[in-house]
Amino acid sequence: MSALLSILQLAVRSAWSRRGTLGLMLASIMLSTALLLAIERVRVDTRQSFRQSVAGVDLVVGARTGGTQLMLHAVFHSGSGTLPLRWDSYQAIATHPATDWALPLSLGDSHRNHAVLGTSADYFRHFRHGDRQPLRFREGRPFDKLFEAVLGSEVAEQLGYANGQKIVLSHGLADGGALATGHDDKPFVVVGILAPTGTPVDRTIHVSLESITALHLDWVAGTPMSGFSIPAAMVGKFDLTPKEISAVLVGLKQRTDVFRMQRFVNEFRGEALIAVLPGVALDELWQAIGIMERTLLGISALVVLIGLCGLAATLLAGLNERRRELAILRALGAGPAQIFALLMIEGLLVTTAGAVLGAVLVSLAGAFAAPWLLSAFGIVLNAGLPSGNEFVLLAGVVGTGLLASLIPGWRAWRMSLADGLTPRA
Amino acid sequence: MRPAILIAAALAILPPAALAAKGHVHGAAALDASLEREQMVLSLELPLDAATGFERAPKTPQEKAMLDETARYLNDAARVFSPSPDAQCSIHSVLVRVPFLDGKAKADDHADIAASYVFRCARPAALKSVETTLFRQFRRLYRIEVQQVGPNGQRASRMAPKQPTLNW
Repeated sequence: MSALLSILQLAVRSAWSRRGTLGLMLASIMLSTALLLAIERVRVDTRQSFRQSVAGVDLVVGARTGGTQLMLHAVFHSGSGTLPLRWDSYQAIATHPATDWALPLSLGDSHRNHAVLGTSADYFRHFRHGDRQPLRFREGRPFDKLFEAVLGSEVAEQLGYANGQKIVLSHGLADGGALATGHDDKPFVVVGILAPTGTPVDRTIHVSLESITALHLDWVAGTPMSGFSIPAAMVGKFDLTPKEISAVLVGLKQRTDVFRMQRFVNEFRGEALIAVLPGVALDELWQAIGIMERTLLGISALVVLIGLCGLAATLLAGLNERRRELAILRALGAGPAQIFALLMIEGLLVTTAGAVLGAVLVSLAGAFAAPWLLSAFGIVLNAGLPSGNEFVLLAGVVGTGLLASLIPGWRAWRMSLADGLTPRA
Repeated sequence: MRPAILIAAALAILPPAALAAKGHVHGAAALDASLEREQMVLSLELPLDAATGFERAPKTPQEKAMLDETARYLNDAARVFSPSPDAQCSIHSVLVRVPFLDGKAKADDHADIAASYVFRCARPAALKSVETTLFRQFRRLYRIEVQQVGPNGQRASRMAPKQPTLNW
């Protein structure tokens, strides 16, 4: 035991005397490990966040397009828009006996880069996120009149809005610049702000479907009619039932009715519709992305391998400089096994330290990048210690490091005592 | 803007056919699987071509016999699907529709077999997987695209000759 301890002490001191070279090796192992872990963490957390956003929805219904595209547009408000579906189709779905609730969604307007979602007030009652948690209000209440808006937590935070704030929506994705065709004749007032959910809801402005219709009453073909406008006070006199909506989120009374309902929608006679099981569409998305993910993970594993090869090369090259040191150790009574252990300990120390520091780096970077990842991509990054697969990867790094140190260890073992002690001309 | 890179990239490499609800692809079948309490429902749809090699009314006695054998096999639920024995599942009902079985011709370009099986399981918690002999029976069947709804929510999976198992 004490022999091993003294070797350990020796290894640490010897390594310290060469700290410059080994420090660089440590940095390269740390960075490559961090890269490997970061890719794994983003991969796992992306899936987790996406799944949490569709917790309670059994079906997403829209006009017939790609299923994944429809789901991404309806739930994540990303990707290109889809074709609209007719209001009477929505009603047929909403009144189907298997339907528990059906939330109409109307997308297309925005406010300073945040999506505006027209829906019914039932949205706040039925929408679920995460582990089937309902939406909660941080302040205020759901909208119940025209031109009232409910903000997602992040919208309120980013733009510094509170209840009572007046906001103007823009048509399409223009971000309120001079070129935006705006709805400035009909401002909205904020009546509620939701608690954070970690889903796209946080980045969305919710208004009633009727408000969306009212906004576009005096619009024709995507632009305001020139010389004609309907004042906000007058729009109540019109029929504000929408003619078209973007998509429907459906919750069923019984989950297993989902295939029956899917068939009903896919074979709907009124117009060409498609019903997507969001969980299934996500899996299909991951199946498609899987190849890219595996490629990324493979490349980062290679980077780690290159780092460890560098470690082995450094240790090997170091042996030449250390001939004298090792020969003296042997002359003082160290056996070949102890010399071997010395080299192994050194390699193991550098690899383990590199792996641990890499994990720390990822956690730190994660903590810094988390808000940005959430706002830019809607990914909730789990800060904190490595878990599950990450431990396997870390163990892989250390194990490979151990293997890599076998080579210099073996060389040192073979090195003869005489070799270092015989001065050469 | 939220230019989700992952999403854009995925959309670019996903062929539209894979996104469409359910097309008619020779060699590929679709299976809807649901599990709620003790009841498991498996609804299979496969192109007639995968089972028999033709998609029209049978012309020879051999083709007719092939069609009959297909129907006989599919009606024998215990032969088609075997759930984990521990779950103690028994067949509750079977409904199989094989086109052209009655000898009548159909004008459609494609023909599909539809088969649906209802199992009742005494210990659904022990139901881990369901194995199928479909790939052994139908050599022209290369994969089954599965939509699953069960206690753990919705999932997509794929069965293939090398992996003829549905996992719950």
